[in-house]
Amino acid sequence: MTGLSYTLREAVTNISRNGLVVLGAVLAVFVSLTLTFGTLVLGEVVRINTLQWAEDVRVSAYIRDDVSPSGITDLQTEMESWPEVDEVFFMSKTASLEEARILLANRPAALRVIEDDPSIVPASLRIKPVNPDDYQTIVTRAEAMPGLLSVESAAEAIDGMISLRDGLQIMSLFLAIALGIAAVALIANTIHMAIYSRREEIEIMNLVGASNWFVRTPFLLEGAFEGFVGAGLAVLVVVGGLRIASNQLTELPDWINIGIQSDYLARSGALVLIFGVVAGLAGSGLSLAVHKYLRT
Amino acid sequence: MLRLENVTKVYEGGVVAVKDVALNINKGEFVFLVGPSGSGKSTLIRLMMRDELPTNGDIWIAGKHASALSPWKVPQLRRSIGTVFQDFKLLPNKTVYENVAFAMEVTGKSRTAIHSQVPQVLKLVGLSAMADRMPRSLSGGEQQRVSIARAFVNRPLILLADEPTGNLDPATSVGIMRILDHINRTGTTVVMATHDHAIVNAMRRRVVQLDRGRVIRDESRGVYGASGATEDREEPVDRAVTDDDRTTNPASAQTEVETADTGQTPTENRVDEAISSEPTEVVAEAAVEGDGG
Repeated sequence: MTGLSYTLREAVTNISRNGLVVLGAVLAVFVSLTLTFGTLVLGEVVRINTLQWAEDVRVSAYIRDDVSPSGITDLQTEMESWPEVDEVFFMSKTASLEEARILLANRPAALRVIEDDPSIVPASLRIKPVNPDDYQTIVTRAEAMPGLLSVESAAEAIDGMISLRDGLQIMSLFLAIALGIAAVALIANTIHMAIYSRREEIEIMNLVGASNWFVRTPFLLEGAFEGFVGAGLAVLVVVGGLRIASNQLTELPDWINIGIQSDYLARSGALVLIFGVVAGLAGSGLSLAVHKYLRT
Repeated sequence: MLRLENVTKVYEGGVVAVKDVALNINKGEFVFLVGPSGSGKSTLIRLMMRDELPTNGDIWIAGKHASALSPWKVPQLRRSIGTVFQDFKLLPNKTVYENVAFAMEVTGKSRTAIHSQVPQVLKLVGLSAMADRMPRSLSGGEQQRVSIARAFVNRPLILLADEPTGNLDPATSVGIMRILDHINRTGTTVVMATHDHAIVNAMRRRVVQLDRGRVIRDESRGVYGASGATEDREEPVDRAVTDDDRTTNPASAQTEVETADTGQTPTENRVDEAISSEPTEVVAEAAVEGDGG
């Protein structure tokens, strides 16, 4: 078909004729989408790690020494019936003492106090929430229960973790929107220049009766190409960077996990590529809609 | 073929370019639009090619109500109209052949059709030997012939020409008019806006004279300035061949003179004689083939 081959040829001609401008647009899309994709990946790293930490989130309900074993069982059964609660474990005084010895290994003064009178370490119920965000509800409900010395949680740590996760999600969303708009605007500008440089051809096309789509398609293809190449480079750099980081950063603490699942990378990488193409088409479409040379 | 009913065009700022024009041009007619600069000739041409919309009135082009046509149907309408301008509007980075083929490519014609039609049209305008030349290496007259070839290659029903000889010397203009005349003989309606007295007077075709946007004269076999009509003597009849035309490409300027069958500076009589001389074999052949599409 002459039409299809013409359209492709013209798109390639546009790109080669305005090489520097096209390179500028590709680089702009690349930088924008690298930042966006990088933030998404960073968000995923935090999500994985917060998930890991979330697994360890527990509310500790310390039991008074005068509560009988059947009373402890009643407390445990009651707590397990709460919808916010996933599981409840009983930690005996002996098990709690062992745990305290491990936790306080670096604090000899505190450890000495425990060793002097092991009976001060209370038995406890360790409550695992279904959702770590609900720990405060569990604390409030547990505090209302009889037979407990106190109810504690790593409130600050949990709150910090949750706000970091939420903050990163908001930031990545904001960055994705802002940089996405920037990519669209930059592609629109490139296409605007391409249209201007070809205004004579466009004028003649309009004169001889080329259809609107025939005139516009090469520019749409050019925009899509710029978006695709920019996005492709961004995916390569982020995925490659992550691989290098995984191999090089062997010194990372155990509690930090940057091993993102390949299917997440494939899925989000594909989304970035689609976004690049859509941004390219949107940028071209924007430019085509406002350009005076394209008005019939 | 072309019908204008009470057409008025007022530009922004209240400038009235065309005022209450009623005109009916039949299939196969050759019509000159004459009048001084600013009389509305070019606006009328743009209205006829649906490049402008009238402020008031209706325009029918090739049976279509152009002034009420949706924008997306305009390209289809334009395929029935060929346009030629004073400034040629050729693409400098394409060869003569490519410039003509461009009009077929962008309207989705097949490669086979392009390969068969373009050489025929180049033969019609006498540029077969220059198919691979770039426009900048051609004289003004040759460039205008490329422009006519491009306008005619899709075999339009109507050919609109806005001052096609405005940048050309008289001898070259005669060559251009012969081509337009022969295109007209294939059945194509030709409307030409011009200042060229010699050509109008020599051809004796329908003349529509405009003055300040109004039609003040419409004669079936008219001359440029009829008695009592507004005269416009901006362009001397016997102007010399421009230095530019000769110095740019003396060889091609010579070719044009020969093609036009004139060896001397033309007077109106010579113009008449030159234009109405028998068409060359090439032109006659292409005119017959012109019915294809």
